[in-house]
Amino acid sequence: MMGSSVRQLVRQHSEIGILLIAILLVAFFSFSSFDKWANAYNLASIAQITATLGLLALGASLVMGTGEIDISVGSTFGIGALVYLGTVATIGPIPAMLLAATAGAGIGLLNGFLVTRFGISSLMLTLSTLLVFRGVAVALTEGFSFSVPYDQRSGFLYQLFGGGDFLGVNTAFWWLLLGLIVLMAFLYATPGGNRLLAVGGSVGTAHSRGIRVNRVKLRAFILCGILAALAGTLEGGKLGFADGGMGRLMELQAIAACVLGGCALLGGRVSLFGVVIGAFVLSSIQSFLVVNGVQPQWFMLLLGVIVVVAAISDRALRDWALRSR
Amino acid sequence: MSVTPMNKNAPLIEVRNLDLHFGAFHALKNVSVSFDSGQLIGLVGDNGAGKTTLIKVLSGIHKPNSGEVYFAGKRVKEFHPKLAIKFGIETIQQSVGLCDNLSIARNFYLGREPVKRWFGIPFLDFKKMRDASTKVIRTFGLRENVSADDQVEMLSGGERQSIKIGRAVEFKNRVVIMDEPTNHLSVREREHVNELAQQLRDQGLLVIYITHDIHQVHKLADRIVIMENGEKVTDVAKDEMTADELEEVIRCGGRVVDTSKEVEPS
Repeated sequence: MMGSSVRQLVRQHSEIGILLIAILLVAFFSFSSFDKWANAYNLASIAQITATLGLLALGASLVMGTGEIDISVGSTFGIGALVYLGTVATIGPIPAMLLAATAGAGIGLLNGFLVTRFGISSLMLTLSTLLVFRGVAVALTEGFSFSVPYDQRSGFLYQLFGGGDFLGVNTAFWWLLLGLIVLMAFLYATPGGNRLLAVGGSVGTAHSRGIRVNRVKLRAFILCGILAALAGTLEGGKLGFADGGMGRLMELQAIAACVLGGCALLGGRVSLFGVVIGAFVLSSIQSFLVVNGVQPQWFMLLLGVIVVVAAISDRALRDWALRSR
Repeated sequence: MSVTPMNKNAPLIEVRNLDLHFGAFHALKNVSVSFDSGQLIGLVGDNGAGKTTLIKVLSGIHKPNSGEVYFAGKRVKEFHPKLAIKFGIETIQQSVGLCDNLSIARNFYLGREPVKRWFGIPFLDFKKMRDASTKVIRTFGLRENVSADDQVEMLSGGERQSIKIGRAVEFKNRVVIMDEPTNHLSVREREHVNELAQQLRDQGLLVIYITHDIHQVHKLADRIVIMENGEKVTDVAKDEMTADELEEVIRCGGRVVDTSKEVEPS
């Protein structure tokens, strides 16, 4: 009886795997590096990294939920940061943020339109747009960086978008919480969310039930672009400057966070909460390596290994949960 | 110019000179057929005969290259499953219809979810979704321990068919198309599905039942339509031919003159 109820729990909550990993890692990091890792300053910094990566990954998970993939998010993140930083000094934080979000929506629209209109593989297409918009970012900055003068970084509105703290944590973290709540409500409790998951689960079924499949996919791409650009805005706001390389390789971390968090790569299963925990685990590992003086390139190696292990163990856990009824 | 009026006496579904190509493959060749309410039609033919293609046109999945489709006397101009569902045409297919990754309740209302608005935002009405699907689970003889919140991947083939048929009944449809509804089912489940098909007909619905098995459908149907190589080759009332005679027609490639009515000159 006990075993079957645990199975039921795992079956319905794919994020349980990542939650266990997160708990074990936090315990291990806290004990093995004493207060070097688990101190208020470092935890606040992990919260900020988790926030920007988390927002990026939340968007990517929605596209993944429809059975497509968006790996252009790293460049959209960079474009978002550059648009925000390039305009914030002249038009103010709120219009600059909206402009960045619009740019992200535009990239998402382009991705979604090309994928649904021409039936191109989203992996191939977004790989191309990843390169295209990285090129645009580098061209925009002409090899230099965009920055905001120091005297303009103290305003309340500037601090609202990643440029300051609220209750001891960077404002990006509160945006992540808000984004998570809103997206969870959308995905699990609205018809739009039900249809998004249906498209990822079975395109044929979704179509036969009268769902406009292409429209659902297009919306997911647009939402993903907006979230990526907002994540870039928050990161840009925090740093105060950005160059053309902003967000490079973030796309891999975002997809890793999705897979770690229990999203099915082929669509139909999305755990938004798991995605955020996945982003937290990746940020924690990164921070652990930094505070222990490990070279950053080891993080990339470790990231690759973690994703493979996560994919295998996720499969094993699901198989176990589905086995006996 | 006048718009075709709604005609009470018109057949519920009428197709005229339907043609459909998939690239070089000629899937439907000049098919004309009409169906009335309260009938159970056996649509029979070998693989590739065009029967599934025909019903995919009726359920809005495929758009014909030429020809006309009338629903209740009205010309159908746009083809999308959404419109077919709006007309009250429900298609029960073997391969699609339920998403494994969603719960029974979520599948039940997929595409026409009931909502409750909070501050103008439409949220799923979980109570209604759960209640309606629970009713179907109990009426249609699924296992006792199956609940509306269970994922569809937990269900057997027969239980899946029951959910699809239950959904067709629940939404007060006018046409139920069943594509090979008893494939992969146990004997008992097959009988159950066939009983349901007859019940739907008795309630005044048009039921189009597609199968290979002429003997099985001959027991149920009021009329048998046989297709072969994309053409309608036979269209008879059940009493006009026995199941064995019809089987012979299918075996001989269907080259038998339509005995039900004269072929109209086009």
